[in-house]
Amino acid sequence: MSEFSLYLLQQLINGLTIGSTYALIAIGYTMVYGIIGMINFAHGEIYMIGSYVTFIVIAGLLGMGMVSLPIILIIALVVAMFIASTYGWTIERVAYRPLRGSNRLIPLISAIGMSIFLQNFVVLSQGSRDVALPPQITGGWNFGDPSVFEVSLSYMQVLIFIITFISMTLLTLFISRSRMGRACRACSEDLGMTNLLGIDTNKIIALTFIVGAALAAIAGLLLGLYYGVVNPFVGFIAGLKAFTAAVLGGIGSIPGAVLGGLILGVTEAMTSAFFPSEYKDVVSFGLLVLILLFRPSGLLGKPEVEKV
Amino acid sequence: MNQFRKTLLGLSTAVCIMGLTAAAQADTLKIALAGPATGPVAQYGDMQKIGVMAAIEDINKAGGVNGMMLEGVIYDDACDPKQAVAVANKIVNDGITQVVGHLCSSSTEPAADIYEEEGVLMITAASTSPSITEKGYKMVFRTIGLDSLQGSMAAQYILNTAKPARVAVIHDKQQYGEGLATAVRDQLAENGVKAVMFEGVTPGDKDFSALIAKLKKENVDFVYYGGYHPELGLILRQSAEKGFDAQFMGPEGVVNSDLAKIAGDAAEGVLATAPKSFDQNPVNEARVAAIKAKGEDPTGPFVFTAYAAVEVMTDAMEATKSTDSEALADYIRSHDFDTAIGKVKYDEKGDLTESTFLVYRLHKDGSKTPAE
Repeated sequence: MSEFSLYLLQQLINGLTIGSTYALIAIGYTMVYGIIGMINFAHGEIYMIGSYVTFIVIAGLLGMGMVSLPIILIIALVVAMFIASTYGWTIERVAYRPLRGSNRLIPLISAIGMSIFLQNFVVLSQGSRDVALPPQITGGWNFGDPSVFEVSLSYMQVLIFIITFISMTLLTLFISRSRMGRACRACSEDLGMTNLLGIDTNKIIALTFIVGAALAAIAGLLLGLYYGVVNPFVGFIAGLKAFTAAVLGGIGSIPGAVLGGLILGVTEAMTSAFFPSEYKDVVSFGLLVLILLFRPSGLLGKPEVEKV
Repeated sequence: MNQFRKTLLGLSTAVCIMGLTAAAQADTLKIALAGPATGPVAQYGDMQKIGVMAAIEDINKAGGVNGMMLEGVIYDDACDPKQAVAVANKIVNDGITQVVGHLCSSSTEPAADIYEEEGVLMITAASTSPSITEKGYKMVFRTIGLDSLQGSMAAQYILNTAKPARVAVIHDKQQYGEGLATAVRDQLAENGVKAVMFEGVTPGDKDFSALIAKLKKENVDFVYYGGYHPELGLILRQSAEKGFDAQFMGPEGVVNSDLAKIAGDAAEGVLATAPKSFDQNPVNEARVAAIKAKGEDPTGPFVFTAYAAVEVMTDAMEATKSTDSEALADYIRSHDFDTAIGKVKYDEKGDLTESTFLVYRLHKDGSKTPAE
């Protein structure tokens, strides 16, 4: 392969890696929007908390002398998902449920308040400086002629693809096959009617927040391990990007969130590849504006698309 | 209680007598020491105080200056520009004509105006803002290099020592980082080395894989990064993961033990321009020991620049046999001095002609050693 195609392949891998994690966070936005038609602006902070919990658990387990990396990661994942879900449920309980039925702007503001609260809460309890974790999963595959251009695919990137794929599959199965999933779909179609038919919609909405938060915690774990650094402000930027991905793909649609995340990630990588990297955000957000102008409902945001 | 009063009385009598003898002898020369003794940056003021007091002690032990003993008088500006003006006026009213200080550039700037007008000699040991010496003052000097010198220093190192084949210059789009990166790029270009890439990254970004792939494709073997440690740390870490091994170099903003925490092993061998650690210089061994013996810390960046400020003043006094500050200023501008921070020579503006920065090699344990 020529240098150009190898380089393109490398940037595609980079873009898909970051895009997968955007997708994981974007699902939280899109699920909540699909059901109650509101944007959960505190969702980025859940991702950040997921990262912090991962770091604390991994550092704690390593400190206790545990050596088996897979077990450490599974424990970290379970703890992070549990704690993040608790936060997700609490946010719904504190910032959304009391305001249900009021003007749509009010829960939006309370969610922004929640986001600022969580960010500052972490600043106060964990400090505002970067917390770093030494690389846990190192190495990878290199291919391509080293004298032309060597493409590297790290184990961490592969892990991100695999975990993202598994999470998406499980979520799709959950939504399409389980009783709870069916209730979720019913809620997204008509909340009032679902309630009349005897389904506890409050429980379903709480479930949506919990599932979204758990996925954000997975993203927190993956990106935390990938970058090795977390600070209390990562949630804001990641949340903004994931929200963009959700809108790009069509907010309310789960496949749309995945597609939007991947497109955003690849666009960013390709822009950095062929233009000065400071134009990365200009191009990604320019793309968002264009898509909204010509397809206001996003790429897959058609009414007949299954919404959650 | 009575005992306490007696002691107090005794003490104050002693102080009075000491004051009287000083006045009677009339051979004490006061040097004002202006800087923050209180407030959020008081620890920097302490560094300056440690240096000045150590210098005064050493000079007095050696017989003083022109037969006079030196005395340091502390004035507290709390690093507040308003207080700095008040302090400057007070120093003038107290009849002191030599000042070491101020410390914060924002305090030094308004105070320098007053000293210039009143003919008071001022040497700052800590203020690095270029604008202080840009007004054509006669009485204002420094014993510390300017921030902007780091760029040209890095460029010189790249040109003369590192001599890489393909250089990339990356910055964080902020005033400090981009300013330095531009200076490096321009100076390289002047000497016929064209940077193959000049790009900005977004501060707070976490993913630099696209940038690294691009550096790899351009076969870059030397990267100058203008910015701070969080981004450089991640760039180093991700470069190591992606098998991109170029030599990295940064400014003082990356010299921080957090760099090694973020980058891990990848932080080993990174180059950086940073203020010289004068306490490591064998010339200052005895001085360091004397300061340590008093239970004070000689490692602060301003300890020896403050020491040197006193040396410059007293050397000039001895050479001119006077304490007239105008004569001293003329002498300082036109002569070399051998001080605790090495040879000191001034340009027309009162800045050092040689930088007090040095190129260091950083290590993964957070320490640094002078680069070869």
